[in-house]
Formats: sequence, structure tokens, C-alpha cells
Amino acid sequence: MQDNRNIYTPIRARLTNVIEESPLIKTFVLVPEDKFSFKTGQFIELSVDGIGEAPFTPSSSPLITEKLEVTVMKTGYVTDYMHMLKPGVFMGIRGPYGRGYPVETFFGKEVLILGGGCGLAPIRSLLFTLESIKDKLVKVILCYGSKTPADCIYKPLFDRLNSTEKFEAYRTVDKADEDWDGSVGVATTLLNKIKINIKNSVAVVCGPPVMMKFGTIRLLEMGYRDDQIWLSMEKNMSCGLGKCGHCMMGEFFVCRDGPVFTYNEIKHNPEIWK
Amino acid sequence: MQYKSIKKEEWDKTVEQLLLSYSIFACVENEYGLDYEFIRPADVKKISYNKPKPSTPLKSFFLPVKENVTSEKVEKMPRIIMGIPNCDIEGLCLLDDIYLDKEFNDVFYRKRRENTLLIASDCFGIQEHCHCSSYNIKPFSENHADLAVINLNGTIVLRILSLKGEDFIKTIPAILSPGDNDSISAIAKEHLATETLLTKSNNGLPDYKITGELITTAKEDIWEKYSASCVSCGACTTICPTCTCFLLIDKPGFEKIKQMDACQYPGFERVAGGEDVLFELRNRFRNRYMCKYVWKPEKFNSIACTGCGRCIDACIGKINKNELFMELVK
Repeated sequence: MQDNRNIYTPIRARLTNVIEESPLIKTFVLVPEDKFSFKTGQFIELSVDGIGEAPFTPSSSPLITEKLEVTVMKTGYVTDYMHMLKPGVFMGIRGPYGRGYPVETFFGKEVLILGGGCGLAPIRSLLFTLESIKDKLVKVILCYGSKTPADCIYKPLFDRLNSTEKFEAYRTVDKADEDWDGSVGVATTLLNKIKINIKNSVAVVCGPPVMMKFGTIRLLEMGYRDDQIWLSMEKNMSCGLGKCGHCMMGEFFVCRDGPVFTYNEIKHNPEIWK
Repeated sequence: MQYKSIKKEEWDKTVEQLLLSYSIFACVENEYGLDYEFIRPADVKKISYNKPKPSTPLKSFFLPVKENVTSEKVEKMPRIIMGIPNCDIEGLCLLDDIYLDKEFNDVFYRKRRENTLLIASDCFGIQEHCHCSSYNIKPFSENHADLAVINLNGTIVLRILSLKGEDFIKTIPAILSPGDNDSISAIAKEHLATETLLTKSNNGLPDYKITGELITTAKEDIWEKYSASCVSCGACTTICPTCTCFLLIDKPGFEKIKQMDACQYPGFERVAGGEDVLFELRNRFRNRYMCKYVWKPEKFNSIACTGCGRCIDACIGKINKNELFMELVK
């Protein structure tokens, strides 16, 4: 039987709460009207009614299905509107789309996560997932960098992780203020501090393009193989269905073949860092 | 392959009768050249057969420039598109790969496909920029269409190419005779003549076996040179039978408008922070070649250029991609 589902129609989701994470970043708590679930690392198309739609990776735990959280940086036309929304309105959700993190391949390994800026949003969803399967992992290390202490999102997350068995979380800022007593420098500088058995580990990188590039270079210098590094690629997917062409990265549709790739899969394409 | 034949006058009467139950689009010569037109009874005699090639690519019947993809559409009359050159039939295969994909099939595209009978037309002769044979495409359809139509000196010969075509033939009230050997060999002769013209006209043009490598290894200056007169108008992508990129635009009520888009337009790949991989004109220009000759062949196992040559005809900057390839192969 043919599938007559309309792939372009979003499901409605009520915005129940808006959490201010930093001056430019807010988390939107949404309760979908229809059944909705996702795997960590997959993305959704989130729309403001009549304004526009943009791709985001949910930042909440995939294990919670009655609501979902999306962390959004105010950085363009659609996100400017999103930041004006108040609880009670409806937003549109399409998805989930793409290939997320293959967490089952992380079993028995040490997981190093390198994140920057708003890249912590998809990572938080991954961390929730890893916490739920921590018995199967050796350890999880998070290295996160933000521009300033004020730009650092999910502050309580770090204390919680540091008090969780098998988890370590480190923070750094590019530019400190008077109250900051932590590390200063870009996210990759944190990699010098950690102890990890590279041979039995995987690395996950998610953040702005420049951090993804230099993070990957640093991981390779440390001895990671190309296929041990997982990258979450960022493109302006319009349809999320492998059709509209906006997210083509070489022969890949980032929305279908990714957004999570190993460096090995995409390294032949010189345009990945652009 | 099965052939049926019918006298031209009988065929015209049949088409007129078919107009009662089908919307028919067929090739008609007008003051601007050859193109598909909506056929009314008075137009049946004006239908042009076997002449290459309608200005509009076949994709326009399946991918409207703009459509609301969240509202239900009323089923219209079944449709016949007649006189389709094989380059367009082959181009449709790539569109099918994209839009009829198992996981996410586009119900609007699929309903149009199911609702349409494709009658191909063997090309007798070539247009100035026709070069299908360089990309391993024949100037006549042997599969992927439902029927092919040939006008042989007053006799219409139909080549049956699909079950749908075969079933359609059974519903035609007119009496069709089996295709005779003389007609079949006359058609073969025409095919050979057209293929000879194509070979002659495209002598030295790199073929599909090496286009991918030529594009991948092309030096930066070739893109600079050939994009110099490009004004990013998108005519090449609009007219291309396989360019299918689009943008979803939101309307109140969570409605989505799907509008054709193109990598040749500035801002196509711009992301929210303002970064744009295709900001530079030469990069946008190169992107189209990479897509057609390298990426799409890798992803879908079919070249995304059918050699129709419409992009050359349409370019107001007079950019000729065949000249670019000839320069690359030097």
C-alpha cells in the first residue's frame, strides 16, 4: 500500500515554557499534540507559524517523549521571531530527520565530547542518553568552550555531571570576567588536561564551524583515527527529506546521510569546513 | 518490442476522442519555436511529431514553480503528455529517485506521475545544442516512458514501452494494426541518421565516462573564466530537466509553499549566522557542475545531465558548457 502521508505537514506543539540560557540563547519547551520521539543527534524542522522554519537538534532527553526541548540562538530571521514567543502559542514540528549518534557503537568505550557555544544543545541530549547507558560505557568526558562566562549555557549541567559516576565535565571561556576562576582559552585547550585512552575511545565534536575544524585537527594530532571522530554538521536544511538540495555537502544530503558523520566519511570533501 | 500502427487521419480522430477523458499536452510549433501546449480539438492537427525538442523541460509538469504542499488537491482528469524527447524521459528517472524515495515520498509528485501517461517521441534530426548521445542517452525511448510515437509519412507508429502503455492502447477505440517490418526498419534508419548527426555535431566532446573527473580536477581559473558573464539569473537551472532544488516558505496556519529554488541564486546555502559556502559567483557556478557530473552520479548512479542543451540555449550570458568541457579536455 502506498504511503499517503504528507511529508511537508508539521505537527503542532504547544510552547509551555521559555528558559533564558544566556543573553542570546533560549530553550523552548514544547508539548507536541501528536506522538513524537527522536533519537539523539537527529534534528527537527521547527516553525514559527507564518514566519519560517529552521532545523534544530533537540537538547532534551530522547527518553522523555511527552515533551521536548529545543535550544535556540538568536541569530537570524526565524530565530529572532522565536525569541519573541511567549508560552501558550503553538509551534510546528517536522521530523525527526537524519542519522543521529550511533550510541550502541560507544559501548565499552571512553567517550570524549568536544563542544562549543550553542553546540552544547545537541550534546546535552547525547549526555542524557549516555547517562542512561553509563553501565555500558567506560567513561564520558565533556570539554566545552564558550566566548564568555555569560555565554555558557546549561550551567547546572556541569555540576551534575561532575557528581555523576564515570562523567567528567570541563569548561573554558575565550574571554574571562572578574568572577571567572576557571580555564581561559579555546575549547581545544581543555584537551591537554584530560586523561583518556585514545585507542579505546570515540570523540564527538559539535560547535561552530571553526571549532569543528580545529577540534578535529587537534584530535587527529592526539592520535584519534578518522573513523573515531563523529562530527555533527551544520547546513541550512529546508525540507529535511533529502529533496530540496539546500544541505548538499558533496554527494551527501546532510539531512538524510547525516547530520552526524564520521570524519572518515566526509574528509575527502574540501568544502566541509567552509 | 511491440509496435502498433494507425493511419494519421485515424490517429487524429482518436486524439480528439481522447480529449473527452484526458487533458492532453503535446508539442506544437509556435512563433517562438516548439513547445508543449494544452490541446483543444482544433489543435490536434497542429501537433508536431518527432521534431526535437520542446523548450520547456518535462519536469515542469510534475514540479510546479510554486505550490501549496499542505493543502489537499482535487484530483483532476488523467493527463497525457505527448512528444517527450528521450533526454527528458531519462531526466525524469532522477526526479523519481528523489521524489518517490521509499522513506519520504512526495505525494503531490507521485499523484501527478500516476495520473500521467508519458508518450515519448523519437527525435528525427537534432537541434544545435543536442548532445544526449555523449551522455549515453539515445535520441529515442526504449524504456521509462509508456509509449513512443513516430509519424512515418502519414502513418502513426506506436512503440509500447510499459504495461501502462499497453493497457492504454487496449482502451483506444480505433483499430490498430501490428507494426510491419518495413515501418520498423524505416524507424531504425531514422534512428541511425539522428545518431550519426549527434556524433558529427559533438565530435570531441568529452562523454559521461570522463566528465566527472574533468570537473573534479578542473583548475580554479576555468570557473572564473566561464562564470564571468553569469548574472545568477537561474535560467540554466529553471530549464534543466533534472534541477529540482526548492525552498519551503511558511504561510499562516502552518501551511508550506514549495517554491523552486536554485544553487545559482545568491544566498542559496546561506546559514543563520550569515556564513555562505556559495557566496562567490565562481563557487556557485562550479557547484552546479559538481552536482550534475560528480555528486548526483555518485549518489543516484545516474548522470544528472541528459545532454538536452537547453542551458546553453537559455543562457543570456552566452555560457556554453560544451565549450567549457572542450577546454577541459584539451
